[in-house]
Amino acid sequence: MADTSRRALGGPGVLLVVVYGVLALAATGRSVLQISEYFARAPLAYLLSAFAAVVYILATWCLAKGGRWVRVGVVACTVELAGVLVVGLASYLDRAAFPDKTVWSHFGQGYGLVPLVLPVLGLLWFRKVERDAVAAERLRHDDGADPAAPEG
Amino acid sequence: MIEPLTYAVVGLAGILCVLAVVYAAKDRLIDDLLLAITGLIELGLVVLLVGGLVGIGHITDGAERATFIAYLVSLPVILVGTAFLAIKEKSRWAMGSIAIGAFAVAVMSARLLQIWNFYG
Repeated sequence: MADTSRRALGGPGVLLVVVYGVLALAATGRSVLQISEYFARAPLAYLLSAFAAVVYILATWCLAKGGRWVRVGVVACTVELAGVLVVGLASYLDRAAFPDKTVWSHFGQGYGLVPLVLPVLGLLWFRKVERDAVAAERLRHDDGADPAAPEG
Repeated sequence: MIEPLTYAVVGLAGILCVLAVVYAAKDRLIDDLLLAITGLIELGLVVLLVGGLVGIGHITDGAERATFIAYLVSLPVILVGTAFLAIKEKSRWAMGSIAIGAFAVAVMSARLLQIWNFYG
């Protein structure tokens, strides 16, 4: 039986899954074509954007599955946040290496700054899921051996 | 053909977005009306996909063509995903996800048309 206590899809989690899913889709499609059609133009930027796409897919999966994937999701969101900050800064310092707007370059401006905001929301949501799960476990312990919790 | 069809898709996606927000506010769940609009948009997107790929040759810039193809292929997937989530997860949050999905479809379709017409 899967760990049902860390359910990440309920409530606002549904919204996050959709936004992450759309971003994962947009980033993946674009980077596949960038790499296959004109990779030589900006190899570093396109490789980073392919990496970003993979991390978005992973984060979407973690949000949808919950359970033990919550911890993987925290790592994925942290990588995203670090990525958008580092690559965002780098794209302003070295404009030649980032000719097109990619997911992470220019702090995600090409995607309405969503890549900058999303990992923060993701991290907050995963933290809430984790806290709720821990609280629920503590409650179960306090109730002792009686598995039939009172209703309401 | 591409232009009127894209306008229709953007319009329907806008309607779906507003309706989903109203549903979320009233705490109503997904029903036949929302599914029918989603179905119509999907139909339009599939026709756009075929029409767009047939006429892709006239978009000469590689970067724009890449974006165009990526959006064409991604678009039909979005609302299928949000409708699936809304049926599975019966809450007002799921209505919010339909609203976000519909908004993304409207924006991405408008961007498609922008690229298409630029090389018109």
